[in-house]
Amino acid sequence: MVRWQRGLWLFFLPSFGLLALVLLWPLGYAIYLSFFDYYLGSGERTFVGLANYADLLTEARLWNSMWTTILIAFGSVGVEFVVGFALALALYRLNRSAKVFSVLLFLPHIVTPVVAALFLKWMLASNWGFVDATLLTFNIEPPDWLGSPVWAKVSVILADAWVFTPLIMMVLYAALQGLDTSLIEAAQIDGAGSWSTLRHVIVPALIPAIIFVISIRLMDVFRFFDLIYVLTGGGPGTATETITIYTYQLGFRMLEVGKASALGVITLIVVAALLLTINRGLNKAYRGGDQ
Amino acid sequence: MAPLTIQQATKSFGGLQVLHGIDIDMNDGEFVVLVGPSGCGKSTLLRLIAGLEDITTGEIRIDGKGVSRLHPKDRDIAMVFQSYALYPHMTVAENMGFSLRMRGESAEVQRRKVEDAANILDLGPLLDRYPRQLSGGQRQRVAMGRAIVRDPKVFLFDEPLSNLDAKLRVQMRSEIRSLHKALKTTIVYVTHDQIEAMTMADKIVVMRGGHVEQIGSPMTLYDAPANVFVAGFIGSPAMNLLTGRIGADGRSFELAGGGTIRFDAPLGAAAGREVILGIRPEDVTLAEDGSPATIKLIEPTGADLHVNLDVSGTEVTAVFHERLSIEEGQAVALAVPAERVHLFDPETEARIAGD
Ligand SMILES: Nc1ncnc2c1ncn2[C@@H]1O[C@H](COP(=O)(O)OP(=O)(O)OP(=O)(O)O)[C@@H](O)[C@H]1O
Ligand SMILES: [Mg+2]
Repeated sequence: MVRWQRGLWLFFLPSFGLLALVLLWPLGYAIYLSFFDYYLGSGERTFVGLANYADLLTEARLWNSMWTTILIAFGSVGVEFVVGFALALALYRLNRSAKVFSVLLFLPHIVTPVVAALFLKWMLASNWGFVDATLLTFNIEPPDWLGSPVWAKVSVILADAWVFTPLIMMVLYAALQGLDTSLIEAAQIDGAGSWSTLRHVIVPALIPAIIFVISIRLMDVFRFFDLIYVLTGGGPGTATETITIYTYQLGFRMLEVGKASALGVITLIVVAALLLTINRGLNKAYRGGDQ
Repeated sequence: MAPLTIQQATKSFGGLQVLHGIDIDMNDGEFVVLVGPSGCGKSTLLRLIAGLEDITTGEIRIDGKGVSRLHPKDRDIAMVFQSYALYPHMTVAENMGFSLRMRGESAEVQRRKVEDAANILDLGPLLDRYPRQLSGGQRQRVAMGRAIVRDPKVFLFDEPLSNLDAKLRVQMRSEIRSLHKALKTTIVYVTHDQIEAMTMADKIVVMRGGHVEQIGSPMTLYDAPANVFVAGFIGSPAMNLLTGRIGADGRSFELAGGGTIRFDAPLGAAAGREVILGIRPEDVTLAEDGSPATIKLIEPTGADLHVNLDVSGTEVTAVFHERLSIEEGQAVALAVPAERVHLFDPETEARIAGD
């Protein structure tokens, strides 16, 4: 137990004040606005209670964007986690020469998402893009990466994975470095094969890091905006319209600030509930996880 | 239970050779202790036996079967790690049963074997706890329990007691001893503590710099150390190792720093020969007709009296079991029975035979 000296909270005050100003105040203001019918520019606000919420929750477009978000979120975090973990394990076994390799893998993550998206858009461009051009030389008819509803989702998921897999890899690789190697050796002597060692020893030991990385990625991916905005703009139609894209459309295209605020609050609640559930579930599955 | 032989084992990490041709024969059921200073390669040798490191050249046989190329799990060994290496997210029972589970034993068999081992080690009440809820000594016991459950041919211990406090260490020492008596399984036990080695071993292997210096029973190493290193390493306080030459009468020793120690009988080397003379502190006595010395420092340990004597500028440590009325600065006379003296060649540092 760490015991804190009394009066130490005074030192938190400045940073807490700043936090309240830039974080809590806008949040509170958004919640406040969500109870009003308010068009940007019209100047007048009418209090409508929960009408914005009622409107949104009965709207097909909201549910569509919600499912799209969940699909893209779990799809991309799933791909990122599996690939990132596999790469981290590979790195862990490779050591020295792998250092250079890991920096290369990290490159997509260093690039600003918007730039990465522009690059991908160019790669995926129909017919003359790098991917299509390559496929065409092998006489494979490429799909319409960004134009068909299904492939647009896949492209968006892979784009996100391309940018964020290195992050997951590095976090898990760092966690692996902190692993007590004698645990793995003990498992080897106890007769566990690679798969059992991974499942019974390595993964449980990494649970805190796994929870951390999945949580921040999910939080992030629910705010997923830049890549999609540049790649598909939410299209075709609303095939890749996530909640954030829809919020953006509501707030900045249709100027319905009250409704957009309500959507923001709904998103917040969904994400918070989701994270709590995942955290609980993972901790329960591996009881040893520090709680 | 199985004999274990190591033949010409060498190990290199990249260009660095850390084991240079190790030969050890261990009998069925023997308690063998590998001892030596830090970095001499004890852990490396143990890990070679376990299969956690690949042997560079040479062969390891367990029960007559070459195991050098086998995976650790196929060698039928169990290992207790210095850090215990208990799986943190598994209960004590799950930790102990893990190897059985991996072997595909039924839940019933797992439970029975874990309970048997828990009974031997008094772990019954702890079976549902997690490692972080245990004290160091309990963790240590669980680590041993995990090894026992497997009923292996050989137990390997790497400094298992070094994280315990002095009192618990003594207690665990005798527990491991009696466990060995009960199970009669071959044990290879690594330590850098020579007292642990002396009290526990049937056979001690003294190592230095990747070489075996001497193999023998504790009393053999104590009574007839093969060289200066073993002589200085075994025994506490350490043996006095004095340089000088045998006197003209063959029964005295002229210290290199001046002064002479006289003995009651001829020493086992030619008169005038340069030697290193070893005297165990506990072989030194005070006698009227001995060689002159001055008391420099007295350290009572309770049971014993550790005394530093000055013999014409050369320091000699003595241990007395009786309470003496002596004080620092006092002039005394010391005597050592000639047959308790160890002689070593100053060039080769090897024991001079025939004394
Ligand atoms: N994986 C490794 N890579 C390179 N050198 C190593 C490796 N493991 C051990 N060594 C070297 O081998 C030598 C013997 O190490 P080892 O761990 O066997 O010593 P030890 O006798 O067990 O010492 P201690 O009592 O400190 O545990 C040391 O010089 C060490 O630096
Ligand atoms: Mg060691």
